[in-house]
Amino acid sequence: MEPTYHDGGVNFCWRFPYLFSQPKRHDVVAVRFAGSKVMLLKRVIALEGEQVEFRNGKLFVDGREIEEAYVRYPCHWNLSPRQVEKDCVYLVGDNRSMPMESHHFGQASKRRIMGVILW
Amino acid sequence: MVKIKYLFIAALIVILGIAMVTAVFPSEERRVKKQFRLLSEWVSKSTEENAFTMLQRMKDIGGLFDAHCELRVPDQSLSGSYTREEISTYAGSARSQASQLDLKFYDLQVVFPGKEVAKVTLTARLTGRSTAGERMDETRELECLLRRIEKKWLFTQIEVIEVLKK
Repeated sequence: MEPTYHDGGVNFCWRFPYLFSQPKRHDVVAVRFAGSKVMLLKRVIALEGEQVEFRNGKLFVDGREIEEAYVRYPCHWNLSPRQVEKDCVYLVGDNRSMPMESHHFGQASKRRIMGVILW
Repeated sequence: MVKIKYLFIAALIVILGIAMVTAVFPSEERRVKKQFRLLSEWVSKSTEENAFTMLQRMKDIGGLFDAHCELRVPDQSLSGSYTREEISTYAGSARSQASQLDLKFYDLQVVFPGKEVAKVTLTARLTGRSTAGERMDETRELECLLRRIEKKWLFTQIEVIEVLKK
């Protein structure tokens, strides 16, 4: 999640908001693996049912370009359009300067989202 | 006062007894978790590791697996049934490409779907440095099956669970 959040930093995750509402686009969330000891920080870029794609580093959702002020490094990703499945959200980190193949991103079940990152 | 002293000694003996029984006769869950502890220890590598230790570790890693083990690791093109020797060779080759490795397992949840079968879900984190000096940091969720063969729990299947699906 560089440069928004730094590797090895301490962050606070608030679970409360997602008890009553769904994750929204641009939220930074904590995604769990098998338990709660190891988590990833990722940004929600597309919601269930939406079509997501990257064209030369620009994010397109349902064919519309989405402005992403938090992406500060140059990005040249190209990702063919794909639909976000039911009960899932599409998550990507803010560090898009690395090759797309090395970046851990994609759609995840909402059940894996532990909460929103406060700081 | 004397009574309290005897009660205290009796309680201490009971606690020590329970601890000894637990240590001498570990539960099946503890035995299964021990295999992960050994795997973590043997895959991990320090910068000072010599060739003899490397060969010993390769052999040790192979000993944790069943004669045939099913691997399902999509992003490493590792899918199918592999023999213990193949896994040992692969582990040795992967370790030789790193100057330092640290494998840790978190959140192990062990269930026993059958008498001789254990299913473990966990998070694995591999950090270290390649011989070229590049930093490595990979985290994956795994689902493992272990089978008890001749009183030893051996890995028979390891599958990487896709948390983020591109």
